[in-house]
Parts: sequence; C-alpha cells; structure tokens
Amino acid sequence: MLAGPAFVVMLAVTAYPILQATYDSLFAYRLTDPESRRFVGLNNYAVILTDPVWWNAFGVTVLITVVTVLVELVLGFALALVMMKALRTIRPVLRTAILIPYAIITVVSAFAWFFAFDITSGFVNPTFGLEGTDWFASFPTAVSVIMMSEIWKTTPFISLLILSGLAQVPEDLQEAAKVDGATWWQRMWKVTIPNMKAAIMVALLFRTLDAFRIFDNVFIMTGGAAGTETLSFGAYRQTISRLEIGLGSAYSVLLFLSVVAIALGFIKIFKVDLSQARGEK
Amino acid sequence: MARRPSGRSGAGAAAVAVGALLTLTACGGEAGGPPTLTWYVNPDAGGQERIAEQCTEESGGAYQIELQRLPRDAPGQREQLVRRLAGNDTSVDLMSLDPPFIPEFAAAGYLADVPPDVADEVTEDVVEGALAGATWKDELVTLPFWANTQLLWYRQSVAEEAGLDMEQPVTWEQVVDAAEQTGTTVAVQGTRAESMTVWVNALIESAGGQILENPEAEATEYELGIASEAGRRAAEIIEDIADSGVGGPQLATANEDINASMFESEDAGFMVNWPFVYQRAAGYVEAGNLERSEFEDYGWALYPRAVEGEESRPPYGGINIGVSALSENVDLAFEAGRCIVQAEHQKQYFLSDGNPPAKASVYDDPEVVEQYPMAETIRESLENAAPRPQTPYYNEISVGIQRTWQPPSSVDPQTTPERSEELITDVLRGEALL
Amino acid sequence: MDSQNYSTREKVLWWVVGLLIVAYALVPVAWIVSLSLKRGADLSSQTFLPPDPTTENYELILSGSASDLFLPALRNSIGISLIATLIAVVLAMFAAYAIARLDFPGKKVILTTALAVAIFPVISIVTPLFNVWRTIGLYDTWPGLIIPYMSLTLPISIWTLSAFFREIPWEMEQAAQVDGATSWQAFRKVIVPLAAPGVFTTAIIAFFIAWNDFVYGISLTSTEASRPVPAALALFTGASQFEEPTGAISAAAVIVTIPVVVLVLIFQRRIVAGLTNGAVKG
Repeated sequence: MLAGPAFVVMLAVTAYPILQATYDSLFAYRLTDPESRRFVGLNNYAVILTDPVWWNAFGVTVLITVVTVLVELVLGFALALVMMKALRTIRPVLRTAILIPYAIITVVSAFAWFFAFDITSGFVNPTFGLEGTDWFASFPTAVSVIMMSEIWKTTPFISLLILSGLAQVPEDLQEAAKVDGATWWQRMWKVTIPNMKAAIMVALLFRTLDAFRIFDNVFIMTGGAAGTETLSFGAYRQTISRLEIGLGSAYSVLLFLSVVAIALGFIKIFKVDLSQARGEK
Repeated sequence: MARRPSGRSGAGAAAVAVGALLTLTACGGEAGGPPTLTWYVNPDAGGQERIAEQCTEESGGAYQIELQRLPRDAPGQREQLVRRLAGNDTSVDLMSLDPPFIPEFAAAGYLADVPPDVADEVTEDVVEGALAGATWKDELVTLPFWANTQLLWYRQSVAEEAGLDMEQPVTWEQVVDAAEQTGTTVAVQGTRAESMTVWVNALIESAGGQILENPEAEATEYELGIASEAGRRAAEIIEDIADSGVGGPQLATANEDINASMFESEDAGFMVNWPFVYQRAAGYVEAGNLERSEFEDYGWALYPRAVEGEESRPPYGGINIGVSALSENVDLAFEAGRCIVQAEHQKQYFLSDGNPPAKASVYDDPEVVEQYPMAETIRESLENAAPRPQTPYYNEISVGIQRTWQPPSSVDPQTTPERSEELITDVLRGEALL
Repeated sequence: MDSQNYSTREKVLWWVVGLLIVAYALVPVAWIVSLSLKRGADLSSQTFLPPDPTTENYELILSGSASDLFLPALRNSIGISLIATLIAVVLAMFAAYAIARLDFPGKKVILTTALAVAIFPVISIVTPLFNVWRTIGLYDTWPGLIIPYMSLTLPISIWTLSAFFREIPWEMEQAAQVDGATSWQAFRKVIVPLAAPGVFTTAIIAFFIAWNDFVYGISLTSTEASRPVPAALALFTGASQFEEPTGAISAAAVIVTIPVVVLVLIFQRRIVAGLTNGAVKG
C-alpha cells in the first residue's frame, strides 16, 4: 500500500515515544542515578498538578497563545486585504516581503528581536526615547517582546491562508451585496467572513496549536526569567536540565494532553471538519 | 529509494547535493596513528586548543588530543556532558569541568580515579579554593587547571571623590554609599543565571553562613543554611542595591558581560566581576573605544565584605580537568591531563586568555605580574574564596536560588531566605517542579 | 478586482501602505545584518546602522575561532535538512498519490494522523527519543535527527502534495493505461512530469521547516558531528566565556538566512501556492 510507509513513519516518530514517555512518567528516575529508579505510580502527576509552577507556565502559555493568535488574525486579515487590493505592480513585492519572516529561522527571529530591545545594544530604546528601560526585566515587557517576535514571524503564514480564503469568496455575492447598498463593513461581516469560515478556522487551529508549543523565543530571549516560562520550556527544564526523566515525562505527557484537548475543543466547538478543510473537499 | 520517481529539476538537484555531502562526511575517520583523546572544552579564546596542540607534540606520538566545544554557560556544558556519559559514550576522554558540577559527575561514577602520583603532582602548590573545587568526599577527582575569582573593581577617581580608602577592606554598605554619593553605579550580576547563585553564595559565605551545611548527606536529608542570619544579611545587601538604584536600570538582566560594559561607561563606579574585564578593557583601549585615561582609572581590591570586620569569601570558579571513567584510554588521558595542567601551561593560558592559574607560584612569574598588575590580589582572593555547594544536586540548589532571589528588586530579607530554603527542600524531596 | 482603476491619490496611498509592510517585514532582518557588521566595541552604540562597518564577525565564523563551531553546523544543517526533506517528500508522494487517486478506507485516517502529528508538541517526545537513541547509538548522529524530523516534515508534505495531486488531470493516466502501459509506467511517464512542480514546492516548504528546527537540534546532539545551526547559534561564544557573542551570532544568522531569502525570492509564487493549497483549497 502506497500510503503505508508514511503512515508507519509518522506513528513511529510520535506515537511510540509518547507511549514510552507515559511509561517513564510512572517512575522516579534521575538520569545520573539510574540505580534509584523506582515505581511511583501517578505521584509525578500529582506533584506537577499541585505545583504553582505548572499552572503559572500554563497561564503564560495560554496568554501568549491567545494574544498572538488574535493579533495575528487581525493583522493577517489586514495584510491579506492589502495584498488583494493593492496595485498590481506592488503585489509581488509585498508577497515576497512577507514571505521572508515566514522563512526565517525562529531562533534567528528571536535573536533579532532580543538584540533590538536589549538595553545595552538595542536600537529600540534610543529610537523611541526609552533609555533605561530593561524590557527583559519584568513580565509584561518581556512577554510583549516575545509575543512581538512570534507575531512578526508567523503572521505571514496566517495572512496567506486568509488570502486564499478571500479568493474563494464568490465575486457575485459581493456584487449583489454592493447593489443592495451594503457598506464595506457590512459586506465584510455578512458576506466575506462567513464565506471563508473554513480558511479562518484552519488558520486559527494551526496557529493556536503552534503558539501553544512556543519554546525557541523563550529559550533565546529570557531563558524563562521574569516569569516567562512556558509549558514547552518547563518540560525542557525538567527533562534536559534537571535530568529528571520521570517527572519530566509526566510533564511532557500533560503538555501533550493539553494540546489534544485544545484540538478536540476546536473541532467540537467550531465544528471544523479538518479532513475537509485539509484537502478532502 | 534510489529508483523513486522524482521531479526532474528540484529533487534531482537535491539528491546530487545530498550525495556530495554524504561523501564529504564519510571521509572523516582515520585509521592508524596514535590514539586520539577527545577533550571536551568550554569555549575560550583559543588557549585550550593551543595547549592541546602542545601536549600532542610533547607526547612524542603517544597520543593526540582533539577538541570538542561545549556550550558557553556552565549548566549547558553539564547538560551536554551528562547526556553523553549517561549514554555510555566511550568517546569522551578529557573534560573541562566547572567545579560546582564536579560532585554530580563524581557521584554518578563518571570520573576515573586519579592515580596517586598524578594527584600528588597536580595538587602541588595549588591554591586552597581550587583544591576544594577539585575534590569530592575528600578525594581528588579532577585535576586543578585554572581558578577564577571575582574582585571588587572600582574607578579610582570615584573612590577618591567619595573619600573611600581602598587600601582598607570595604563593605558592601560602603560601596553602595560611595556610589550613591557620587552618582555612579555598582555593577553586579542580577540576571537569572548561574551568576546569581555565585553572588548569593558569596554573600552568604561572607556573612558567615553556608547554603548547604552537610553536602555528604543524602539529598533528602540536606540541611540548608539559607534561612539563617547570614541568609538575611545577604538579602539585605541585595535589597539595598536594588532599592538604592545603584545597580542601574538593567540590574535584573545584568550578566558579567553587561557589567563589564557598564564599568566602561561614564557613570561607572564599582563592579564585582571576574578578571576577564581587565583584559577586555585593554583590548578596547587598543581598538580606540575606551580612553586610556579611563582604563588607567581601573582599580581593584578584594571582594567587599558582608559584615564589617569579617573577611569576605569571594566567589570561586574556574575549570578542572576530569577524565571520563568510560574512556578507553584512561591512563593516556591522565598523562594528557597532567600535561595540560602543568604550571607552564597555566601561565601561558593566563597570559593568552586571562584565566588565572590554579598554582600559586605562577602568580609570582614576572611576565604574569607585568601583564596583570592585580595578580597578587587574585591569588589572595583565591585563598579566601568559597566554592559553591559541593553536591550532586547542585543544579537543583542553584536553579532554586535563581528562582527565589531574582529579580533583585523582589528580594526581601524577611521572606526571601525562607522561601528559597523551602523551595529547594521541596525540590530535593521530589515534591516540586523547578 | 483587477479591473479597478486607481486615482493618483490612491496609488500614492498604496505605495505608502506597501512600503510600511515591507519595512515591517524587513526591519528585524536589516537590524541583524547591521549588528553583524558592527565591531564588538560598537555594540553598545545602539545605533541602527553600524558606525564603522567591519567584516570581522564574518571572518570569525568563516575562518576564525568560531568557524570550528559554525562550519560543521552549517554542513549538518544543510545535509540533515536536505535528506529529511527528500525522504519526507518521497514518502508523502506515495501517500498523497493514494489519497488523491485511489479510493480506500484509510484515507481519512492518514490525513487525521498527519494532522495529529503536525500539532504534536515535539518537546514531549525529546526525552524518550533521547533514551532510545543513546541505547541504539543514534544520539548525536545525522539519522538521529533525520528520523525525528519526519514528524515535522511529513504531515505538511502529505497535505500539500495531496492538494497538488488533486489538481492533476488524472484522465491522462487512464488514457495511458488504455494504451497498454502498466499502472507504474503510467504514473512515471505521465503523472510525474505533471506533478513535479508540486513536488518541488512541497520540498521547499518541508526544507524550511527542517531548517527551522531548534528543539530536536539542542536536545539530540552534543557535538559538531550533528549539531545544526539553530542549536549552534545558542552556543556561540565571545572573546571570553563571559562575553556575549552578539556579532558572531548575527553574522551566522545572516548566513543561514541568505539561502531562505534566495529561495523565497525565486520561488515566492510557488511557495504561496503550496502553502495555501495544502492548507485550505482542495
């Protein structure tokens, strides 16, 4: 069967490791001390779920996800409208320009934004007369810069999806609405948006789950300081830095379950048929 | 895979490129020749590479040393090495280890026993702090290579203006007062990183306390000395710096590098930092980015005291050489290690990279004294220096401290030491995340 | 939409809006280029443009002391990303062909699995992978990264290709089969040339994704034997271990950004088509 190998590979690189992680999560197991590995049942989960550190990371992750996705949606919509309506001559220029952030490595984007806001070497403070502002010292400013770099990097993706959705809105509906005397705003709400719901939903779902896994920016910019630790970063810290395989695996499994819950929630609430949106139409 | 149907242009070109790369990487291995010892080093300005070449040469064909670079920060170096060693990787022979992480390596059995004759040779004439850092449970487990310590750097003009006699030992209070009085800064490492633990440890030790009282015990039985008189004293000093504003606006993200540039700027007053700042400033004078007069204004003294009349316990750092227990050439690796840490190389390394030697005699060398007028102060500082807690769970303690003592503006002598001790205790019992 | 006629005022307005968007997209890139041209001592000048441009950072990473770290990383990144792309595209081609062309019950399962894999939090599987890799000797090797990269590149390749394949006029294949060609021959002779642009586009997108990886890169490697560039960027060092390698990082960042910018400039139309096709259209 032709699709077999791809299917097997996909399962092998995700399903198998997550099952292994689930098993490991039932042990107290430190990498440097394999002899003292012992079965602790669900204790690791209890430790994590009663620890404010987890909930704090959860809150930060949700905050970053909600804010970035909403801003990206609005910004991406605006960009898509501009790209659709702009002069023919500048359209390709715009398209190329916005593809650049999309293609740039997240780590590079994180460094660029970090250095720009850095108190000793960044150009942002002197440019805006904010000398002496240490953006990475407190949570609101640090998380803002993290979100800015995330938004800069991923808005192009969302705007391209929206652009292709816009192109699918039947022209005659628009014309009919125009004839009926609908304003631009009314047409947008009554005709355009309802007709591209699928595109928006797909964009939303993908960006939400992607933003929920945010890691690179946090790692580069703050290393989790100023309260900016996200769930992915927390998982990294428990397993890679602390070498606590058991506790870290439990953390990883919980992160995985959170992602699954969000995906299911999306599908249930918005009734997105993903296989349809994703090419089964 | 070779007979796959493919797009003519793109995938074809990609396949050619891949093929070329594969052949490139395939011819990496070498057969014959002397055994290769792989030395995992922390990044530096190239001094360790030079030493590796010299030792390869000196061995007369007995071995050749190859370098692998580790991440820049000590916790990152530890992560990489532990993951290798836990994977039973036999390709690690020599390791440049940051002292606080040595107990973890020793306790996990990653370090080969140091032969007695090598031990005698490499510990001869080594300063106190460096010896403690190379030891675990009274056994020498690594070879002392270079030893770092922080000094109190000051602008002579500022100290003079404030009427501070730097010939005498000074306290943190005096430093902060002098900076406030002259409108200058006190550069300290307030960022959430290993350097925060370095600072807190030095403060607690200087105040007569200890973060960990019984490092030999089981982790669950550890007695911490953070919630103590000394801990509160340490918190007072940090609070004082944060409240008075002398730490500058970037206090909460300031690391050694930012501190160094703060100290090069106009409102520089004081700084605690490693000796690399001197070498760096000298380079900036060359490059024309720092006035010579500013550089000549640099002064140095022993680390500030936490309590008047009590000697300070400056931070201790540096690198020791460990030999992996999994190495296939343990004996040769010790030979190489012995070569690496010899006094001549320590001196050369100090001159080239600015990293101070572990052996006391090197500080009297005329060349050293000429290039580093503060050599004597460094040695004195090293004699008093206090290592960070020597425990296999150092990472937990250090991150626990960073979590609770950072940002400096949040430090409160009434609550911070207690909170810190509680968190670390819970973490060590496996009852909390970090 | 294209029939609109713009007044001069509108034209000017569009140009302004266009320039704003271009600035938005390029300012961070320009900033990192500028940093890469600054001398170490000029970093604290905080000016947007380098006061005294120098190539010393590029020398440092291409032939100087940081080259031991950067050049192997560059080679690893290129090699690993290309191989991962190649394997993903080949596997995805078969899967997408089946999805677009054949009627079989597992169709939906495969697309759903691809979705599930695409949303997978990769950090969750790093630890078990590390544990398996160290026992079977894949830790810090090329295959040790290529295999997990499949979780990043395969799903998107399957969707994008399925969408492309659905637009291919498959009647031609049937015509060929009627002419006596086997299924395989028909696929190879007729369909492959038609599918090539889609395959190529998919490869570019998959390559971007592999090139971007950081989590696997820092977790499953430890030496220049396999460490890719994004991970190496986080390990750069300044003149001493306490000094920040801002200039070297920036220079390396610029070098790894050049290939993607070139790809974008040459293939922007196709990349846009590929991204939108795979995601929305069908």
